[in-house]
Amino acid sequence: MLVSAHSLGYLAQAAGVTVALSLAGIAFGFVIGTLVCVARVSGGPALARLGGAYVSVFRGVPLLVLLLFIYYFLPIVGLDVPALVAAIGGLSLSSGAYQAEILRGALNGVPRGQTEAATALGYSNLDLWRRILLPQALRISIPPMINEFILLIKASSLVSVVGIAEITRVSMNIASMTYRPLEAYVAGGLFYLAINLTLAGLGGLAERRALAGAR
Amino acid sequence: MTKPMIEVRAVGKSFGAHQVLRGVDLDVAKSEVVCLIGPSGSGKSTLLRCVNFLESYDEGEVRIEGELIGYELDKEGGRRPMPAARLRAMRREIGMVFQHFNLWPHMTALANVAEPLIRVRGLTRAEANDKAADMLGRVGLADKAFAHPQRLSGGQQQRVAIARALAMQPRVMLFDEPTSALDPELVGEVLEVMRALAAEGMTMLIVTHEMGFAAHVANRIAFIDQGRIVEDGPPKHVFHHSREPRVRQFLQTYHDRNAF
Repeated sequence: MLVSAHSLGYLAQAAGVTVALSLAGIAFGFVIGTLVCVARVSGGPALARLGGAYVSVFRGVPLLVLLLFIYYFLPIVGLDVPALVAAIGGLSLSSGAYQAEILRGALNGVPRGQTEAATALGYSNLDLWRRILLPQALRISIPPMINEFILLIKASSLVSVVGIAEITRVSMNIASMTYRPLEAYVAGGLFYLAINLTLAGLGGLAERRALAGAR
Repeated sequence: MTKPMIEVRAVGKSFGAHQVLRGVDLDVAKSEVVCLIGPSGSGKSTLLRCVNFLESYDEGEVRIEGELIGYELDKEGGRRPMPAARLRAMRREIGMVFQHFNLWPHMTALANVAEPLIRVRGLTRAEANDKAADMLGRVGLADKAFAHPQRLSGGQQQRVAIARALAMQPRVMLFDEPTSALDPELVGEVLEVMRALAAEGMTMLIVTHEMGFAAHVANRIAFIDQGRIVEDGPPKHVFHHSREPRVRQFLQTYHDRNAF
C-alpha cells in the first residue's frame, strides 16, 4: 500500500512532465505550423516549395526516428542536445508539419470574397492575414487541432526513449521495480486518459465559444 | 476640362484563350452614375473589377482621376506592375460592394465597418467606432451594430457592406450586382440606399440587372456584350431608341418577363 502511494506520487509528477512537454510541443509546433502554412500559401514559389518539403519530411519520418536522430546523431556532428530540448524539438518539428496542414485546410475554408473585400479596401498583406484570414482559419481549425493535440500527448510517450521521466517512462520504472506491470501501466494509461479527456472538454468549450461569437 | 473620375481606354483581358474584354472604352465623370448592363458572361463584372485592379488587364489603360491603376510606365514606354503600397493607396479611394456582401463573419456589423478605418485609415478604435456607428445609422442599421453578419438578412448585410465601403470616404463606388443575391423583397432597401447615395453626388459605376433602377437613377447606361461596349448613352436612348439588335433583344426578354 505504501509502495503504491509512493508510485502514484511519481506518476503524478510524470504527468506534469508529459503535460509540460506536450504544451511546449503544441506551442512551438503552432509557431512552426503557422510559418510553414503562410510560406506555402502566400510566400512565392520558392518558399512554397520549401514549406511543402518541410511537411513531406516531418510528416513522413516517424517521431521515434526523429527523436533518436536528434538525441544520438546531432552530438556526433558537435551539437550536444540535452534530452529535454531533443524531446521538445522532436515533438514541435513533427507537430508543426501536421498543424501547417490543418491550417492550410482551414484557410481553404475561408471564402475568397473575404480576401477580396479586404484587398479592395486597401489592406496590406500583413493586416489581411492578421485580422481576416488567421482568425477565421483558427476558428475553423479548432476541431482538427484538438485532435492533433490529443495525438501529440499520446505521441509524447515516445520521448521516454531519450530518458525523460514522463508518464510512460515512469510507468516502466515502476513496473520493473515492483514487478507489477499490469497495475503500473493501467495507472499510466489512466493518467493519459484523464489529460486527454480534459483537453477534449476544453476543446469543446472553445468550439462552442467560437460558434457563439459567430452568431 | 477636368479629368474623368474613371477612364477606361482600349482595355483588353483574356482568361487563357478566352477573350473577356476587347478594346473597352468607358468614361465616368465626377458625380455621374453609370450602369453596366448586359447578358451573363459578357464581361461586365470583369470590367468593373479591372477598375480597382482586383482583376488585372492585359491591354489598354484604366485611370482613376488621371492616374493609371495597376501599372507604372517606364521610360521606354513599357509597363510593369505598380508598387503594392501605391496600389493599396489607390484602392483606398475606390469603394466596392460585392454580390455576396463579403462581410467578415468573425466580426460584428460595427467592427466590419470600423476595422478597415483602423487598419487602413489609421483611426483610433474610438474614432473608428464612432464613425462606424454613424455610417450604420445612415444605412438604417443603427440597432444592428452588435449583430454578427449571420444574424442579418441579406439586405441588411448588403447595407452593412455599403456602410463599410462608404466609411472609407471613397471618391468612387463600384457595385458588382449588389442585389443579385437577395430575395426579391429585400432588393428595395438596398436600392434605396444606393439611390440616396447617387442623390448626394457620389460617383458610381454599377453592374446590375435591375433595369428599373438603372432607368431611373443612372445618368448613362452602357450595354456590354461579348467583351465590347455596344451601346453607351442616357437611359432613355438605350432602353427605348437603341438600334443595336443585341440591346433590343436583351431588353425584350425583360419586357416579356415583366409583362404578367
